[in-house]
Amino acid sequence: MENFVYYKPQTLKECVSLLEEHPDAALLNGGTDLIIQMREGLRIPTDIIDIKNIPDLQGIKVGPDEIFIGGAVTMSQVYDHPELSKLFPYLCDAARSVGSIQIRNRATIAGNLVNASPLADTATPLLCLEAVIHTYGPNGTREIPLNEFFVFVRKTLLEPNEVVTGISFKPDALDKAVFTKLSRRNEVDLSTVCCSVGRKGGEYRIAFGSVAPTPLRLLDVEAYLKDKELTDDVRREAAEIARGTVSPISDVRASKEYRLDMVANILEDALAILQKEG
Amino acid sequence: MKQLINFKLNGEEVEHYAPLNRTLLKMLREDFDLTGAKEGCGAGECGACTVIMDGVAVNSCLVLAAELDGREVTTIEGLSMDGKLDPLQVAFVNEAALQCGYCTPGMIMTAKVLLKNNPQPSEDEIKEGISGNLCRCTGYKKIIEAIQSAADKYQAENE
Ligand code: FES
Ligand code: FES
Repeated sequence: MENFVYYKPQTLKECVSLLEEHPDAALLNGGTDLIIQMREGLRIPTDIIDIKNIPDLQGIKVGPDEIFIGGAVTMSQVYDHPELSKLFPYLCDAARSVGSIQIRNRATIAGNLVNASPLADTATPLLCLEAVIHTYGPNGTREIPLNEFFVFVRKTLLEPNEVVTGISFKPDALDKAVFTKLSRRNEVDLSTVCCSVGRKGGEYRIAFGSVAPTPLRLLDVEAYLKDKELTDDVRREAAEIARGTVSPISDVRASKEYRLDMVANILEDALAILQKEG
Repeated sequence: MKQLINFKLNGEEVEHYAPLNRTLLKMLREDFDLTGAKEGCGAGECGACTVIMDGVAVNSCLVLAAELDGREVTTIEGLSMDGKLDPLQVAFVNEAALQCGYCTPGMIMTAKVLLKNNPQPSEDEIKEGISGNLCRCTGYKKIIEAIQSAADKYQAENE
């Protein structure tokens, strides 16, 4: 690993001034991606700004109008949270499906989103929850709908000197949802395809990962399903529309054709679960 | 470049000039001669480097030395008290849960936290709990048995 200067800011303001002073700095949160990239020489930051101790980024707040997950909150803090695991089991399932326990004790939800991997596991439940990304930068705070946040593989709307302070969503965003992850091995693997399907009244929200350059909502399928009864035929038709909406590639984990089939199968199964459990 | 850090290592306060571009794993092994934690992959995949940091299991290959300031770390060397092995260590010996031993320190540290949070885990819970620790020798069966037997031992000690 190359040399760098290490900073541990105590406030967001301090953090942003450091970013402005050091254009080649890297933000360190859980470190589970950054340290590997540094080790492999893929990133050679001159300065490391460790943000995980900033008080404003800590904690999970469960309020009547908003759930707020701080920017430094780890995967295991999410699924170990008693209220979150009761109210949003699908989000907790997604957090629990990331890496190993050792990774989940360090990796953060904010980091998972900022890295903008097409297969970010926690992105699909948060897309269905219509989550909002909160940022802080030289020009103050911004709120960006997660739906708009991902631009391309590893590209987001985050500005170079901005920090994600947290992720929020409405407590009643969904009545119910299902998270599905397909991977080569059950534990400690990246998604071949991941998906969340949620229902709110007569509306459905469907998000897939690993089938396009970014995790994405399948709005065509959602429009088709609106106020429909989930009969076998409707589910099958939804699966067909989904297949035509996504654009997966072939890679080491699976072929394009396999992914297309899996998108259809996972969606049909998830809708069946929602139908059965009301 | 070095930076002064203060942290608790195996129960003792230490003050140390940590080389910045180094991971916790390298620092433990090279500066403190604590060679229990091993480097298998250096990339968070194998768990051979697992230590306990502030009460949770982490891959020490994915922690920077500089991050340690103000934190608390326990390594396999800190598990045995006054020359007396921890029940988990005894169980690994008795159940023959190791062959080459490369994965063992990491496996035991992961199991230590697992049993603290879930004193009587089922077989499936143990499997899930140690899924971030790879072992190329034992086939895992004896490791799972050792963890079960240590769980019983802790239970008996607490009664
Ligand atoms: S050496 Fe750290 S996980 Fe393999
Ligand atoms: S005993 Fe050899 S790797 Fe586990």
